[in-house]
Amino acid sequence: MTRAVPHFTTPTSRREWLLKAAAGFGALPLFDLMARESAAASGEAPPWAIPARADSCIFLFMEGGPSHLDLFDPKPLLNRLAGKPIPPSFKPVITSMGEFHSPILPSRRKWKRHGDSGAWISDWLPNTAEIADDLAIIRSCWADGVNHVNGVGQMNTGSTLIGRPSLGSWVDYGLGTANQNLPAFVVLQDYPQSRVAGGPRNWGTGFMPASYQGTRFDGVDVPVADLRPPAAIAGTRQKAKLALLDRMNRRHMAPREDQTELDARIKSYELAFRMQAEAPEAVDLSLESAETRALYGMDDPVTEPMARNCLLARRLVERGVRFVQIYCGAGSRWDSHQDLEGKHGLRCQASDRPVAALVKDLKRRGLLERTLVVWGGEFGRTPMSEKGDGRDHNASGFTMWMAGGGIKPGAAVGATDEAGLYAVEDRLHVHDIHATILNRLGADHARLIYRNQGRPERPTVNEGRVCEKLLA
Amino acid sequence: MGAFGTRGAWAVAILAIAIGSQARAEGDGDDGRARFFEREVRPLLIAKCQQCHGPKKHKGGLRLDSRAAFEAGGESGPVVEPGKLDESPLIEAVRYEGLEMPPDDRLADDQVAILERWVVEGAVWPGAAGPVVAKAEEAVDEPLWSTIPPADVRPPSLEGLAGTAWEGWARNPVDAFVLAELVRNKLAPAPEASRRELIRRATFDLTGLPPTPAEVAAFLADESIDAYERLIDRLLASPAYGDRWGRHWLDVVRYAESDGHNADAYRPQAWRYRDYVVASFNADKPYDRFTAEQIAGDELAPGDPDATVATGFLRLGPYEYNQRDVRGQWSNILDETTDVVGEAFLGLSVACARCHDHKFDPIPQTDYFRLRAFFAPVLPRDDLPLCTVAEQNDHDARLAAWNDATKDLRAEIDAIEKPYREYREHDAVIKFTADVQELLATPDADLPPYDRQIKALAYRQIVFSRDAVLTAGAIKKADRDRWQALTDELKKRAATRPAALPEALGVRDVGPEAPPTIIERSRKANGPIEPGFPTAVEPSPPEIRPTATSTGRRLALASWLNEPDNPLTSRVIVNRVWQYHFGRGIVATANDFGRMGDPPSHPELLDWLARRFVADGRRFKALHRLLVTSSAYRQSAFRPESEAEEARSIDPDDRLLWKRPVRRLEAEAIRDAMLAVSGELLPARGGPAVDAATTPRRSVDCKVVRNFRAPVLDAFDFPDGFNSTGARNTTTAVTQTLLLINGPWTLKRAGALAARLEREAGDDDRARVALAFRLAFAREPENDEIDEAVAFLRRGDRREALVDYCHVLLNSSEFLYLD
Repeated sequence: MTRAVPHFTTPTSRREWLLKAAAGFGALPLFDLMARESAAASGEAPPWAIPARADSCIFLFMEGGPSHLDLFDPKPLLNRLAGKPIPPSFKPVITSMGEFHSPILPSRRKWKRHGDSGAWISDWLPNTAEIADDLAIIRSCWADGVNHVNGVGQMNTGSTLIGRPSLGSWVDYGLGTANQNLPAFVVLQDYPQSRVAGGPRNWGTGFMPASYQGTRFDGVDVPVADLRPPAAIAGTRQKAKLALLDRMNRRHMAPREDQTELDARIKSYELAFRMQAEAPEAVDLSLESAETRALYGMDDPVTEPMARNCLLARRLVERGVRFVQIYCGAGSRWDSHQDLEGKHGLRCQASDRPVAALVKDLKRRGLLERTLVVWGGEFGRTPMSEKGDGRDHNASGFTMWMAGGGIKPGAAVGATDEAGLYAVEDRLHVHDIHATILNRLGADHARLIYRNQGRPERPTVNEGRVCEKLLA
Repeated sequence: MGAFGTRGAWAVAILAIAIGSQARAEGDGDDGRARFFEREVRPLLIAKCQQCHGPKKHKGGLRLDSRAAFEAGGESGPVVEPGKLDESPLIEAVRYEGLEMPPDDRLADDQVAILERWVVEGAVWPGAAGPVVAKAEEAVDEPLWSTIPPADVRPPSLEGLAGTAWEGWARNPVDAFVLAELVRNKLAPAPEASRRELIRRATFDLTGLPPTPAEVAAFLADESIDAYERLIDRLLASPAYGDRWGRHWLDVVRYAESDGHNADAYRPQAWRYRDYVVASFNADKPYDRFTAEQIAGDELAPGDPDATVATGFLRLGPYEYNQRDVRGQWSNILDETTDVVGEAFLGLSVACARCHDHKFDPIPQTDYFRLRAFFAPVLPRDDLPLCTVAEQNDHDARLAAWNDATKDLRAEIDAIEKPYREYREHDAVIKFTADVQELLATPDADLPPYDRQIKALAYRQIVFSRDAVLTAGAIKKADRDRWQALTDELKKRAATRPAALPEALGVRDVGPEAPPTIIERSRKANGPIEPGFPTAVEPSPPEIRPTATSTGRRLALASWLNEPDNPLTSRVIVNRVWQYHFGRGIVATANDFGRMGDPPSHPELLDWLARRFVADGRRFKALHRLLVTSSAYRQSAFRPESEAEEARSIDPDDRLLWKRPVRRLEAEAIRDAMLAVSGELLPARGGPAVDAATTPRRSVDCKVVRNFRAPVLDAFDFPDGFNSTGARNTTTAVTQTLLLINGPWTLKRAGALAARLEREAGDDDRARVALAFRLAFAREPENDEIDEAVAFLRRGDRREALVDYCHVLLNSSEFLYLD
C-alpha cells in the first residue's frame, strides 16, 4: 500500500509497459523498475533474483544494545578480573561514555547449555532456551556505530551516516510483496510513543522513492495514519465523495490517457478503500484463540506490549507482508549504562516469552520454514563497567541470532575474544548480516541495484558476503 | 596556469566575460599543455580522426583514442616525434603533404595549427604523472562530454522549414534547437496551450501558487500582443518567485534546520540561510556571485552580512552532538561537504571516489581528496556577527552596563554552581579518548591547525554538557533555596538585559595555514594532498592566495567554478532551471553529468544556453524569460491520439518535447495551493520558521526538521534533507491518498474553502461551483460539471455537502496536476 501504484498496473506486453513507464514521469528509475515489472509481468526473475528460502522476515530489534555478555556469550574471564582494569593486551576501542579503562564488570548470570546444540543461554532467557535448537546463534557480529543513532542506523541502512534506504525498503523494492492491500514493510514498537534512535529514517528510503518506506502500525483499531475517515464523514458521505471524485478524475484523465500516473491515482483511492476493510482485520488480535494469546503472554501486563507485536507480526506475515520489524525496548530501553541488572532484567522479562512464542507458533503452523526471524540490537556492551553497575556500548563484538527460513537450526557461528570485547572468529559485519538476510529472501545483495542519480547503489554499500555457515 | 584561474575575486571573472574567453592564455608548463590538449587537441582527434583510428576501426593499425595506443603508433611506428614537426607523420598527413588525412574532410588551417602547436610543445597527452593514466590505458579514454567546455554553437537554421506549417513557430533560439531536433526525428510540436492553461502553468512554475480568478480574468482580457510576456514579467517580479525558486535551490543543497541525529537539535539561526537564498533569487543575484558567497563568502567579502549567512551552506550537513570519535566525525563532515559541492555545483557524483577511483567517470580517488582539501581548513562557527561595528559597540556598552549592575548577583550564582559545572566539564572530558583529552588540555596557540579543529569539535560537546540548564534538584540542599532565589532574581533582571545581536551559522578558516589532507582508508601510504580541481577538467593547480586569517583555498575554488568556460558550472545550473520548467532536464540526471548519468537530449542547446547564461551576466530571470516565453514551453499537453500514438513510437518519453508533459505539483505547491484556494494563506514571508501543520504560511517558511518532516509535505515526496536532491521523486502512494481523503489537514482546508464560497459567491449553488472551479482549476465549469455538482450539493445537509464537495475538489487530479 505504501508502494507507488504505477508498479501495479499490469501491462499486457513488455512493450506496452515500456511505453507506459516512459510516458512522462521520469523521476522513477526506469531501468530498475523495468527489471522488476517485466519480471512480474512475464514471470522472468529480476537480475538479482536467486532461489528464495523465506517469503518474509521478522526482525526483532532489541533497541539500545543488549549485553551479549549477559545473554548469549558467557566469559568466565570477566568474573576472574572483576573490578580490575582490562589487561593491556586488549586494543582500546572508542566508547560512547569513555569507559575503556573502567574496571571489569562480572556477569551475575547463571549459565547453562541448552538443547541438542548445547547453546549457552543465560538464565535471563528461559523461554528462548527452550527454542535453542531452532536458533542459529552468531557470537561474532560487529558494526561501526559507537552511538545509538549510528548503530541503529547502520543495522537498518548499512551506513552509520544518514540518507540510505533501510533493509526493509530494499526488500520491498527488490522483491515486491504478495499482498497489495497491506504495506510490504511494517514497523511496530512496543512503546509506540517512544522514539527509536534516529527516528523514522530507520525505516525510510533515503534516496529511493518514498513508496518503499516502512509503515508504522501503531494503534489497534487504526493501524495506519488516516486509514479511516473521521466518524462524521464516514459511510454514505464518504462513498458519495469517492464516487464524485472518481467521475471527475476519469473525466480529467480521458484526454491524458498516456499519463499512467493519473490512472494510478484513481486506483490508489480504490486501494485505500480496500485497505480500510482489510487492515483492521489483519490487526484484530481478538480473533486469536485464548491459548495462542496466552502462549505469547498477552495476559501479563509485563509481556503484553511485546506479545501483541509478535502476534501481530505472525498475522501480518501470514497475510503476505514481506518485512516486519519490531522494536523491542523502543527508545533505547536496552541501553544500560547503569543498573544493568534492573534494566536488562526488565527487558528480558518483557520480551523473552513473546519472542520464544513467536518462533514456536510459526513453527507449529508450518510458517517458520518460510519466515526468517532475526534477533539483535545495534551493538552489544562492554566488559568494562560504567557507573559501577552498568556497561558501555560495544560495537566491536556482539551476538545476534536467526531462525527459520533457510537458516541452519542449532548452528553456532563465530566467537569473541576472552573478554567478549572483539569478535575474533568468523566475524560478521552488519553488511554480512544484511547480505545473508537478503540471500534467504531471494536477492543477491551484490546484484540488487538501485540507480541513484546515475550511481549504482547496493544495500550493502558494495560490501558484505553471505555467511555460508548460517545456511541450511 | 590560465590567466583566469589565477585571479582571486569573482568580480574579475565577471569582467572577463566582456573581454571574451579568447583572452585566456593557455599558460606554460605541463599543466597548460595538458589543458590545451583537453580543450583543443582531443576534441579534434575525436571529431576528425577517430572514425577510422578509434575504437571501431584501426586503419593502418593506428588508434588515436588512448594515450597508450597513440604512443604505440601505427604499422609504421609512432606518428609523432614530440617537438619535431618535420619528423611527425601525423603533421605531414594533415598538411596533405604525404598521406592525405583525413581523406575526405581536410582540416582547416587553424585546426592544423592546433596539431602543430601540440607537437611543437611536446605532444603532451595528459595523465602521465597521475593515476588517470592507469585508467586511461585500460579503457578508451574518450573524454567525458561534460568535461569539455561548451561549444560556441549557433542555433540551427530553419530555412528548410519555409513554407511548412512550422515556419514561424520558433519564437527564439531555444525553439530553433527544439524544432530542428523534432523535425530531424520526423516529429512536430504540439499546438500552443490555451491562455488559461498558460497562466496556470506559468504561475505555478514561477511562483508555486495558483493564479487568482482576478489574475486569470485580467490575462484573458488583455488583448495586447505582449500580454504573455508581461504576465511573465509580473510573475518574475513577485516576491513569491523567490519563495518558489529559492526552494528549488534548497533541494540541491539538502537544506534542513536540525542536526538530524538522535537529538536532532533545532538550529534556531538556520532560517537566515533560507532567507538569503530566497532574497538572492528575488534580487536576481548573478549565479557566480551566489556560488562564491556560499563557498567562500567569508574570504570574498569579510564582514558582509549576506556573504556571512551564505557560508551557512557549508553548515547544512547533519551533526551528532555526542559523537566521541571526533576525528571520524570531522572526516565525515568534510566528506559530506565535498559530496554536496560535487553534486550541486559540478553535477558530478564524486562520492564514489571517496573510497576508490571512480569506476565510470574520470575521477581518481586523489581528485576526491584534492576537492576535499579546499574545505579542510574550515572551522565551523555558530556566532558570526551580522551587525555593523557601531551596533556591536552600542550593544557591548549596554551589555557591560547590565553586567555591572548584576555583577554581585551573578557572581554569587556562579560560586554556588561552580562545583556542578566543573564536575560536568570533567565528566564530559573523560568520555573522550586520551589523545583528544590531551588536545582539550592544550592551548590553541600550541596546536597545529588540524588539532585545533578537532579540539574545537570536541569542545562543542564540553560546552553542551557544562552549560546545560541546572535544575534546583541538582543543587545540594544547603544551597538550594538561596540558589533558587538568586536565579529567580536574575530572571527578573533579564528583562533589562540588551537583546542578543543576530548571529549566523557559517564558517571561517582555522587560520592562514591549512591542515594536511591525506587519503583516508587508503592502504597505500600517501603524502599530503594539495587542493586541486578534477584533473580531467582542469589539471593545473589552483593559485591560492592566503590572507592573514584565511587560507584562500575556498575562494580559489569559487573562482575556478566561476570561470566563464568552466565546462560544468554553467551547464549544470542551466540544466537545473530547464528541468524545473520542462519537467525533465536536458540532462535528466541533474546531479550527475558523468557517464552513469543520462546523456543530454539536446547537447547543442545545452551548450548554447550555458554560454548565453554566462553572456547575460548569469542572471536567472533572463534565463527564465528566455525559456518560459519560448514556443517549446507554451506547447499544449494534448495531442490528438492519432498524432500522439505515432509520436510515442518515435520518442516514447517525450524527451524531444513533442508536447507538454503533465506533472504533479510538488509537496509545497500542493500545500500552498490548498491554503491559497481556501483563502487562508497569510502574506507574511521569511524570518524564523513556522509549523507547517498549524500556521497557514508558505511552505518554504515552514520548519524543516530532519527527523520529523511535516506529514503533509512528507507524503508528497518532500526531500529528506540528507542528500542533495537533483530531481524529486513523484510517487503515488496510498499514504498520500489517505492523507488527502481522510486526514484532518485537507478536511480543514475543505471547510475553509466552503466558508469562502459561501462568503464570496452568495447563496447560489451554481455561482459557488463556478467560483470553486475558478479558484481550484483556473477555469469555468462545463454545463454538465455544474449539473453534477449541483446535484451533489442538494443531498442532505447543505453545509456538509458543500464541505464534501470542496474536499473532492482538493483531492482531484485536476487540482494536483499541471498541464
